[in-house]
Amino acid sequence: MTGELPSLHICDDWISIPLSDWEMVLAAQTVFGASNDWTEIVPGRDSIALQFDPAAVTPDQAGQIVLKHLANLERASGTSSATVVIPVCYDTVFAPDGEHVARKLGIAVETLPAWHASQVQRVAMLGFMPGFAYLESEAECNEIGRLANPRQSVGAGSIGIIGRQSCIYSFDSPGGWPIIGRTPLRLFDPVRDQPAILSAGDIVRFEAIAKDTFDHWLQDATK
Amino acid sequence: MSITILKAGLQTTLQGAPFSAHRHLGMPAAGAADCLSLALANFLVGRPSGAIAFEITLSGALFRFKGPCSIALVGAAEYLRINDQQQPRHQTLTVKAGDMVDIGPNRLGCRTYLAISAALQADSLLDGQSTYLPAGLGGFHGRALRDGDSVPFVPDSPVTALQRTTPESLRPHFSNDYMLRITPGPEAAERNESALDALCLAPYAVGMRANRMGLALEGEPLSASDSSNMPSAPVFPGTIQLPPSGNPYLLGPDAQTTGGYPRIAQVIRADRHLIGQLRAGSRIQFVQITTDRATEIYREKLSLLTSWLGQITMW
Repeated sequence: MTGELPSLHICDDWISIPLSDWEMVLAAQTVFGASNDWTEIVPGRDSIALQFDPAAVTPDQAGQIVLKHLANLERASGTSSATVVIPVCYDTVFAPDGEHVARKLGIAVETLPAWHASQVQRVAMLGFMPGFAYLESEAECNEIGRLANPRQSVGAGSIGIIGRQSCIYSFDSPGGWPIIGRTPLRLFDPVRDQPAILSAGDIVRFEAIAKDTFDHWLQDATK
Repeated sequence: MSITILKAGLQTTLQGAPFSAHRHLGMPAAGAADCLSLALANFLVGRPSGAIAFEITLSGALFRFKGPCSIALVGAAEYLRINDQQQPRHQTLTVKAGDMVDIGPNRLGCRTYLAISAALQADSLLDGQSTYLPAGLGGFHGRALRDGDSVPFVPDSPVTALQRTTPESLRPHFSNDYMLRITPGPEAAERNESALDALCLAPYAVGMRANRMGLALEGEPLSASDSSNMPSAPVFPGTIQLPPSGNPYLLGPDAQTTGGYPRIAQVIRADRHLIGQLRAGSRIQFVQITTDRATEIYREKLSLLTSWLGQITMW
């Protein structure tokens, strides 16, 4: 990393490292993941947290290890990313906030599915719940913001959007992101070798599917 | 062989060691909310400190054993009865097929651990078997046990002759008043320093919104900085968030891996097992210490415990 190193914050047994953006967070995940120094490596949108075992190292020692590795941190470039196609049904039954989102974006609600599916998205990080994905679109657009009143329950597979950022809910859970569609895919399934279908850095393309395709997909999955 | 749950009570789940090293996939810790009581119970039946046991909440529970094994009870429950006979807690006991094990409710504290000398069968994922309720993963089909459920176990052969009693000095004490030591969180310094000071001024009470995910705290509301645009940031069990309402929120073992509220403090690892014993109405006095002191306290506590329990991990 060139220039001044970020200032670490040590909270008991974990260290928060502020970073400029999600691509640096991704690079940091790779760098710190290469050693056994950390019991957890948790990405945030513009920071990363490293948990250490305070029986083995003191906070000062842990901080020194971080600083040594930070000096070698480079933005990941030219790394090949997997492209994952996520089928999404944008039918109004799955898009309770379609009108609200379209209005904020300044587009007609009928064009929202085509608009959203045309974006190239990257997985910035997984977090919140198992397999829940935070996505970042390359294209600029208006900010939409979170709902003033979060929902008690958002269905698994729901697609949320707050502007350049979208997300995919992996399980039924409370949620505050405006919802514009739903995928029949299971984002996280512990019986698979790789339980989460998305990884940080992946390229995601959304593919609009009809309601009956969505229904068939779910039926097939539960057979 | 199996154990039938006749009365599951308010919430009984299979819990042991937390999931580890998978927070980058969004997988929370889960696991026993009070790792110390779990470790003490497991030691009495000769099991590893993080072995899967029954975590019983507030109201007690009733079990019927369909095979012989040793059991031990550590935690907040007021009594333990086997076939209506009062039995000591903190001690290895043997049960035979057909025995009824009755765990009483608790007046103080929140959770109790019933450890078994045999391996309880639980769903495995990501190198763990604890129950993560919000996504329905691990444990007994990912859910809390219900009346009539049967949990299979692989009996130890032969049944161990182990006979242990937890030393008086190591037995957890339960109360309505707790002291939790904290270190400042990442957002404490910049904008919320006064909030952190205020947090330690007077006790906070645990509100009605209290479960394994977290505990809403009630007391003098703290002045919260505007966090509407705060990017999602890592959190851990024991992190204290400051939502716009100004009422601090203390994260528990099932807490999500990232959150969007300022992280004003972190409960130190040595005190985190106490979070599992907090219930609605419990009062907490927070005390701020340095991270160096937190490490010393953790090492002292660990050394005290390992003198009895051998190698253990706390989380």
